[in-house]
Amino acid sequence: MSEQADLAGLLASVATGDRNALKAVYARQSTRLFGIAMAILRDRAAASDVLQDAFLKVWQRAGQFDPTRGPAEAWLGQIVRNTALDAARARGREVLTDDPSLGDGAFEPSVLDDLAEAEDGARLRDCLARLDAKPREGILLAFVHGLSHPEVAERLATPLGTVKSWIRRGLLTLRECLS
Amino acid sequence: MSGTAEDRDLLAAEYVLGTLDARASAAVEAALATDPALAASVAAWTNRLAPLTRLAPPEAPPPDLWDRIEARLPGAARPAPRRSWFWQGWAIGASLAAAVFAGLAFIPRAEKPAYMTVLVSDRAAPAWIAQADRTGGITLAAVRPAFGEPQSATPDGRVMQLWGLRPGETAPTSLALLPRTPGRISIPAPALRPVNNMLIEISLEPEGGSPTGRPTGPILFYGRLIEAPPN
Repeated sequence: MSEQADLAGLLASVATGDRNALKAVYARQSTRLFGIAMAILRDRAAASDVLQDAFLKVWQRAGQFDPTRGPAEAWLGQIVRNTALDAARARGREVLTDDPSLGDGAFEPSVLDDLAEAEDGARLRDCLARLDAKPREGILLAFVHGLSHPEVAERLATPLGTVKSWIRRGLLTLRECLS
Repeated sequence: MSGTAEDRDLLAAEYVLGTLDARASAAVEAALATDPALAASVAAWTNRLAPLTRLAPPEAPPPDLWDRIEARLPGAARPAPRRSWFWQGWAIGASLAAAVFAGLAFIPRAEKPAYMTVLVSDRAAPAWIAQADRTGGITLAAVRPAFGEPQSATPDGRVMQLWGLRPGETAPTSLALLPRTPGRISIPAPALRPVNNMLIEISLEPEGGSPTGRPTGPILFYGRLIEAPPN
C-alpha cells in the first residue's frame, strides 16, 4: 500500500504545479499505463499519443484526485483507459476482432490467476468465476481490449442483444459479489 | 442524466467498462462535474474493475515520450496558477446539458463541417464547439452557460491562444489569438490544415500571445477533432 500512498502524495504535489512530481509519477507508472493503452490500441504511435494526452490530463486534474475515493493507480488507469477508448472511437475502433493477439480463450480462469496477486484482485477473480465463460470473456474483452458491444458480439459469435444483456447482468453480479 | 438509480449505476458501470458509444460516453463525462452521485458511482466502478488492468501486459513506452509530454506542459518550472477563481461563475448551478444545447443553437446550420469537437475545460465542462470546414477553415463558438458568466471570458492582461497538434507531431502550432469578446470566431485559413484526430487546445498567454511559439500558460480547454457525423 505504500506505493499507493507515495503515488497519492506525488499527485498532491502535481496539483500544486510540481513538474518533478509528474515526472516521478511517469517514472513509476508509464510502463504499466503504456501497456494498458497498447492492449486497447495495439499501435505504439497511437498509444504514445494517448499517453501524452493522458499525462496532460493528470497534470490538469491532479487536484481532483481524492485518495479517500480509491487508489491512485486506479485513478491513473482510468484516465489512460478513457483517453485510449476515445482514440479508439475516433478512429472507428478498427480493431480486428480476429487479431491473434486477442488470443483464443485468452481469459480462461488460469489467466485470471494473474489477478490474484493482490487481495482486491483475488476477490474480483472469485467473483468473475461465478459468471458463465462467455459473459466473463465479453466483460474482459471490453475492459482490457476496448472492444465495443458489436465487436464483442462478433468475437463471441453471439447476437448483439444477447451480448448487451450478458454484460449488464454480469456487471450486476460482480457488484453484488464484491459488496 | 435521468432514470432510476439502478439505471444510472449501470450507466456508470458501462462508462467505466468502455462499452458506451462516443456520444453517451461524452455525456457521462460532462455530467460528472455537476452530478456527485454519478461521479461516486463512476469512482466505485473504477475501483471495482481496476484490478483487471493487470491483465494488460506492461510495455515500456518510447524513450523520448517523457520529453514530448514535458514539452507540452505550460511554461517554465513555476507553480501553476490556481484556476478555481476562473470557474466560480461557471461552477455554480450551470447546467451542462443546457450549456451544450445553447452552444449548438449558436452555430448556424448552413454548412456541414468536416470535423468537429467540443473543447472542454480541465473539469470536463464544455466551453467551445470547434468545427473545421471542408476548405480547411476553423470556426469556434463559445458555449454559453445557462447561468452565470461565460467561462470563456479572458482575464485582464492575458489573451487566449488557439493551438493545433496533429497526430504524431511533438509541438503544437499557433492557429490564432482569440478576441477578448467571446462569441463566434472564424479562422478561414489557419496555419495548420485540420485533419482527423488533430488536438485543439486553448492556452492562457501574456498579451500579444506566447513569446516562445509554444504554449506557456495553462491549457484552459482542449479537444480532439473527429469526423463530423453524416447529416
